[in-house]
Amino acid sequence: MRSGDFKENYISDEAIFPSLFARFWVAVLLVSLLLFPFVANNHLLYIANMIGFAVIGAVGLNLLTGFTGQISLGHAAFIGVGAYTSAILITRWGFSFWLSIPLAGLASALAGALIGIPSLRVKGLYLCIATLASQFIFGFIFVHWESMTKGITGIHIPPPAIGAWHFDNERKFYWITLFFVLLGVGYARNLIRSKMGRAFMAVRDRDLAAEIMGINLFRYKLSAFAISSFYAGVTGALLVNFLKVVVPEQFSFMVCIEYLAMIIVGGLGSVIGSVFGAVFMTLVPEMLSVLSDIVKEAAPEMASLIVPFKQVVFGFLIVSFLIFEPRGLVEIWNRIKKFFLLWPFSY
Amino acid sequence: MVKKTFISVISAFLVLGITVIAMAEQLPTICAVHPYTGRFAFAGIEGAAAMQDVVDMTNEAGGINGKKLQYYWADGEYKDDVGIAAFKRLYAQYKPQVAFGQSTGMTKALGPEIKDRYKTLYSAYTFAEEAANPKVNPYLFLPGPTYVDQFGVILKYIAKEKPGANIAFFYSDTEFGREPIAAGREMAKKLGLKLVAEEISQVGGVDLATQILDMKAKKVEYCIFQGFVSNPIASVVKQSKDYGMNIKFMGTFWSTEQQLLNELGPLAGEYTGVSAYSFYYQNDLPGIKKIQAWTKKKYPKIQYRSQSYMAVYMSTLLFVESFKRADKMPGGFNKPENLVKALQSIKNFDVGGLMPPVTVRDNSIPVGRAYRGNPATTKFDPISDWIRLD
Repeated sequence: MRSGDFKENYISDEAIFPSLFARFWVAVLLVSLLLFPFVANNHLLYIANMIGFAVIGAVGLNLLTGFTGQISLGHAAFIGVGAYTSAILITRWGFSFWLSIPLAGLASALAGALIGIPSLRVKGLYLCIATLASQFIFGFIFVHWESMTKGITGIHIPPPAIGAWHFDNERKFYWITLFFVLLGVGYARNLIRSKMGRAFMAVRDRDLAAEIMGINLFRYKLSAFAISSFYAGVTGALLVNFLKVVVPEQFSFMVCIEYLAMIIVGGLGSVIGSVFGAVFMTLVPEMLSVLSDIVKEAAPEMASLIVPFKQVVFGFLIVSFLIFEPRGLVEIWNRIKKFFLLWPFSY
Repeated sequence: MVKKTFISVISAFLVLGITVIAMAEQLPTICAVHPYTGRFAFAGIEGAAAMQDVVDMTNEAGGINGKKLQYYWADGEYKDDVGIAAFKRLYAQYKPQVAFGQSTGMTKALGPEIKDRYKTLYSAYTFAEEAANPKVNPYLFLPGPTYVDQFGVILKYIAKEKPGANIAFFYSDTEFGREPIAAGREMAKKLGLKLVAEEISQVGGVDLATQILDMKAKKVEYCIFQGFVSNPIASVVKQSKDYGMNIKFMGTFWSTEQQLLNELGPLAGEYTGVSAYSFYYQNDLPGIKKIQAWTKKKYPKIQYRSQSYMAVYMSTLLFVESFKRADKMPGGFNKPENLVKALQSIKNFDVGGLMPPVTVRDNSIPVGRAYRGNPATTKFDPISDWIRLD
């Protein structure tokens, strides 16, 4: 049990890693992430990259929905805006990948801020529908603005490069993904303990009271939309540069639902919850696929029953988590941490 | 002395083992990602069975020049990211020489990597133009005509039946739906047909009154579907009849399925489709009889095999033939270029009437036939001969 752990000032109280123990395990995690590409095969690295993109997108959405309380059903559209911005900048105007990423984020942030304007007048389910409109508007633009987006044919993108070094496979791209994941998660974690983060939470908890206290609702709601969309734009840009193609069908409404599921299963209002949710929603279906393949090889005549069953299992897992832990995976994590913190005492 | 003998024996075994490992050749291997669940499961389940059947038939007949053909597959759920992950997993485990994908999207995403990195002969549940361009990517091929070619068959048929007719394109708001539309507009113009309407609907859409009344107002005589399987085609046909419209409905491969005729019932005669393959009930064809006999033996409860089955069956036949031809080339089938050359060398390949004798041209087989639904039998009857589109 940790004892003698007291803080003498607010800065140390607000520290993200308050103890040597926490810092040690974070260092272990970082070292593992750095060593991972040297031991993993291409398939695992592909999954790792996809988890990375999901983490960035989920953190962005959680900043808007979990921390600021603004429900958005347009996240896939903002991912698409970032994706197409990056693809068009690279293929049409010869921008480098490295410059296209922040510009893609900015383009999505602008789009998000525009779409966020209704949030000043409507809340809850009404805002939900307003943001859903953005999903359809941008979906239409991706398909029909063929002179820019090439419509359904899509845009093929060359791999990113630094000089003669091309990031053209999963192993090389992993370093880019890792960099942006650490940057995105680090920034979000710091944002929520800043003035802006506290304002977001005040807006979420009671926006009228927040306004009375002097928090500018217009400014902070739009900021939340813009920052969330920036994250989405970076996610989209990274995703399409990794896959080397962008087509409209990559940004369907189902993607919005997946990201919402990530932050709900992971834990609303928690950055680490977003990470857990992204890992869960990406890794668990893949593990179930591998498991069903193994079972299918052993009993091929049962394939028609075994293969679809993984969808049932996945749905059951999500529902179980929500029944037994409605606050998400992060609450399970918090309980585990508390157990070790208080061990051998349970209170 | 004992120690020296022991070391010699162990060394001999090691050398032998290393030699065996070095000489061990990669067996001919097919890896496939089927859409076994999800929106396209009706095709994936049939396709997985088709591929397994051809592999089993091939191995029963001695394999690829005596080598057993290996086959592994995974479910892609008709989602591109899941499909790509499944492909990479299968490739990492089995290093196939040929691969089969689940969709146009997956083909587009994987295409550059297949060309530069994986170098596997590749086909998919798609007839998209992009997958039949040997100059851009020689490893991708289609087991039939492209959607654009299929549109060509339909438009030529209409132009022959009624020159200058009013036509409409009715397509889904998806990649699959939009693929041949731009080329279709050009072709219609060239053939002197008047494209008076373009109707778009969601897959499985039910509220179609707007589109149907628009076609009525514009006096559409022929309506061509693209990007749907059965819904909303059956709904459009039925509602058009309710509105007293006299439109002839036509469609491309994926909708020319028994499922649609079952839904149309007595209106089956209103629908004409294009397919590159014969149907399971065309009992006079040796290739179909072979499939029927195999199905009866292995799956006694199954009464019918769909066109999806035929498409994947055809792809697998081409894989097997490419393996056999490449095996005779220097370097064998483990040299990717040999498989491409082998595929492109296929000319007048007899498939027992499943298709006309197959000649691969520009990595596709540009041939199709028009079929009309028969309300009395609820089956498709051929109403044209095989039309070559090259």
